[in-house]
Amino acid sequence: MSNLLEIEGVSRSFGGLRALTDVSFSVGEGEIVSIIGPNGAGKTTLFNVISGVMPPSSGDVRFKGKSIVGVPTHRIAHEGIGRTYQIVRPFVRLSVLDNVAVGALVHEKTLAAARRRAEEVLEMVRLSHLSDVLASSLTLTQRKRLEVARALAMRPTLLLLDEVMAGLNPTEVDAMCAFILDLRKHGIAAVGGIEHLMRFVMNISDRIVVLDFGRKIAEGTPQEISAHPEVIAAYFGTPIET
Amino acid sequence: MNRRYLGLAALAILFITAALVPLSGNGYILSLFYVSVLFTGLAYGWNIISGYAGYLSFGQITFFGIGAYAVAIGTTRFHAEWWICALAGGVICALLAVPMGYLMLRLQGPFFALGMLGLAQSLRIATDTIPFTGGSEGIYLPPGANAVWVYYWSLMILVLAIGLTAIIDRNAFGLRLRALREDERAAGTLGVDTTSTKVKAFILSAIIPALLGGGYAWYLTYVEPSSIYSTEIELQTVAMAILGGMGTLWGPLVGGILMSQVSETLSTKFPQTHLMIFGALIVAMLIALPSGIVPAITERFGRKRTATQARSQEAIP
Repeated sequence: MSNLLEIEGVSRSFGGLRALTDVSFSVGEGEIVSIIGPNGAGKTTLFNVISGVMPPSSGDVRFKGKSIVGVPTHRIAHEGIGRTYQIVRPFVRLSVLDNVAVGALVHEKTLAAARRRAEEVLEMVRLSHLSDVLASSLTLTQRKRLEVARALAMRPTLLLLDEVMAGLNPTEVDAMCAFILDLRKHGIAAVGGIEHLMRFVMNISDRIVVLDFGRKIAEGTPQEISAHPEVIAAYFGTPIET
Repeated sequence: MNRRYLGLAALAILFITAALVPLSGNGYILSLFYVSVLFTGLAYGWNIISGYAGYLSFGQITFFGIGAYAVAIGTTRFHAEWWICALAGGVICALLAVPMGYLMLRLQGPFFALGMLGLAQSLRIATDTIPFTGGSEGIYLPPGANAVWVYYWSLMILVLAIGLTAIIDRNAFGLRLRALREDERAAGTLGVDTTSTKVKAFILSAIIPALLGGGYAWYLTYVEPSSIYSTEIELQTVAMAILGGMGTLWGPLVGGILMSQVSETLSTKFPQTHLMIFGALIVAMLIALPSGIVPAITERFGRKRTATQARSQEAIP
């Protein structure tokens, strides 16, 4: 069995706060895994640890069999992990095209080649009509798509999508779902962090990992998860005894 | 296309004029042009690390000073040709910029700006106290200074600095710089090696003032810590680049020529109050054109479509 990403016993504390406690799971090639959990469950911290933005306090993260703990973020990006930020971080004073071209530079040597690659990616996320506009003038929806486009331009084998659905309307969510399913055809694995939107999670995920207060409380197929008592408890609380 | 040729023609006329100035034999006109060329060159140097990479520095004068002292010490103690000493100053600064860059560029925003200011000041004080650098009495350079050669030297460095900026403005390195200026963490997760990229920019921003500083020492024929590690030169350079337009190819040229000439005219017309008027003028211009002259012009006549125009063509996803 070929695991692309292996998270093993990862913990991360901020002072006295334990944002992640002993989290382990793995992601196979081309697999779509959703990390779900209420606000503050540790999803973004997990993404920060995987993408090298912050090291884990303990535990190991392996990508393609090699540990990437302590590897600088840009090296991790070159290894093939792309990520988007929940709070979008566009380069506001650069054009939309150049925003994406930055990611494309991972594989392209020249700016011209990177911009050509960026054009293709913008086509995929339907932003090509805005390519020469400054990123500062995009709407939130467009900024979310720009985040995805920038990460995709790196030709990642694993894409970490931190709350890409948040703030999108139902039509846009469907479009994004179709888009993520499409990634699999290109052999790209995706790990999505999602607070709710269960319909979407159930439809497209191969597997779901549930976090609550920084701990993994469940893992399984969408069917298994939706019937899991601890998951129901985390989301809805426990029934009151009468 | 026509506009492009018009711009290139204007540039050619400007530089041919600048190159012909010494033939006039008029020392005053030469000095006016020298000041413009010097400051514009310094503004180009500053623009790479502060304009493109977004690390606002108040201490690039450090490298200007090292370049100046390389010539002062080299010509007096080692009896070397001044331009060889100036080149050596450039090499020294390039080498120094590597560890300095790794150290200083860990600082962000105002901390970097102040850190660089502190660096320049500590070097000034060190120069002031160490006998080898002449202490506070300074160093008199050997006679034989030729303003014309210094002028051509500085003009050549200015042309090289513009050429370098033109390359950066259009290549992958330049895009990486602008990306890390906007958001260093996002640039990192998109595969930009932010540390090495900004250190490279810092090196380039050190070499240019070093080479110009070498010429300046030869031009003045006398160096002394406070006139070389001069906060006034530093702040004028910064003001010019900001007024012209930071992180743009032509901002330093427009700002440098304009401000150095305005400053020169004011100081001859109002010898007592020129600094006050100059300061007020900078404030007024920053209020009127906060992003600088060049961006204001490109916004007005530029090709960038507005988002509202573009959005009307957007298909519903």
